[in-house]
Amino acid sequence: MEQKVCHKEDLQPGEMMESTLGKHSIVVCRASDGHYYAFLNRCIHQGAPLSKGKLCGAPAPTDNVGEYNFEKDGDILRCPWHGREFDVKNEGRMLVNEKYKVKNFSVSVENNDVIVYN
Amino acid sequence: MLIDTDVHERVMYEELLPYLEQPWKRYIEDCHWIQEKHMPYTQPAVAGVDRADARIPDGRPAGTDLSFMQQQLLDANNHEKAVLTGALDPSPSSMHGWYEMATALATAYNNWQIDKWLDQDERLYGSIHIAAQEPWNAVKEIERIGSHPKMVQVLLPIDDKLWGDPYYHPIFEAAQRHNLAIGMHHNEPPVYYGQWPKYFIEWHTLIPTSHMNVVTNMIFNGVFDKFPDLKLIMIEGGFTYVPFLMNKMDQQYTDLRHEVPWVKRMPSDIVRENMLFTTQPLESMKKKELMQIIDQLGSDEIISFSTDYPHWDYDSPDAALPPNLDDDLKEKLYTENARNFYPKF
Repeated sequence: MEQKVCHKEDLQPGEMMESTLGKHSIVVCRASDGHYYAFLNRCIHQGAPLSKGKLCGAPAPTDNVGEYNFEKDGDILRCPWHGREFDVKNEGRMLVNEKYKVKNFSVSVENNDVIVYN
Repeated sequence: MLIDTDVHERVMYEELLPYLEQPWKRYIEDCHWIQEKHMPYTQPAVAGVDRADARIPDGRPAGTDLSFMQQQLLDANNHEKAVLTGALDPSPSSMHGWYEMATALATAYNNWQIDKWLDQDERLYGSIHIAAQEPWNAVKEIERIGSHPKMVQVLLPIDDKLWGDPYYHPIFEAAQRHNLAIGMHHNEPPVYYGQWPKYFIEWHTLIPTSHMNVVTNMIFNGVFDKFPDLKLIMIEGGFTYVPFLMNKMDQQYTDLRHEVPWVKRMPSDIVRENMLFTTQPLESMKKKELMQIIDQLGSDEIISFSTDYPHWDYDSPDAALPPNLDDDLKEKLYTENARNFYPKF
């Protein structure tokens, strides 16, 4: 299945939107590098709608207590309920444990259209 | 169906003005009084302490709009009943002075709660707010509003006071007489001996320790020996700490009963006979782990599901408990235990 979900200019880098792919609710994210990513719009924890959360950054892991290095701004999808962080540029894997991920979909841009595949 | 034992409605201060007499009204209207606040942390989740999708579409804070709550929570999850537990702002019993203002705020809040919530939706039940620092005034408020059919409990914050002290017993006597439970919910800052830990994650991890303080204090100060029909619901501390605490209190009581000769039952029996614990915030667990905890509690009738809507650590009725629980256990957790606990249900 493939589906046009939006025009390129509908999302700026760091923005996301809710859409549908067949019967699925999905969230389409445009990361900081301008590329598009799509995920099932349902947190793997308790099912919260991820599109209601925040596309933001995250403090990088560090060896120094008290050190905050904010990075990946626009690349981290954060759940609206419990705040779990998923890296949109790493297949939607959870920052705290990469073993867990949100289901991701392939995306292409053709002419001016953003198309999601399942 | 669900009886949700922890739902936070929230008042905007200006909504309290019609319910306040002078001079109290002017302290908000003219002097911009706000509840003293302490939390030093920046926003812990995406939208502070609220679910990001629970903010009212017009920009008001989560929990301030009945119709939005009906749509997002009560209708969506097929609630049979929900017990409102306030937003602890204002929290009259947490004020560190000016108890006359606290008493006025409690009365205003109760009247607002009845008008704007309890009278508007038959599924909603309420908590009586009091200024417990002056028990004689708190009792007056319980006498005034305690017979309201939808007020099911008296709310006390878990804070820097331990309410089991006999000084506060008139509150429990009044609650028992009016068929009201006591609901206890942590406020700020309930751990680290009244101080804040350095990080929100420390505070939030250790909230159950503040609940352990209160349960221990209420039992060994003889509250349930003096008021054997009094019910205590511990709200938003979870329940997984309870088996440890029951064993610890029983062992201590076996050795040290001579210090508290007014306590007549084993503490674990008091817990099972007089208390209820809300489930949220649930740790991740498998069915086997949940069943082990229930086995250690010696009862499957002292825990009750709660969502904590609209807060960030909301537990979904569909997804928070482990899957494939037996139907009779689910019925107890989602409805029956709360129904049997509250004298007015």
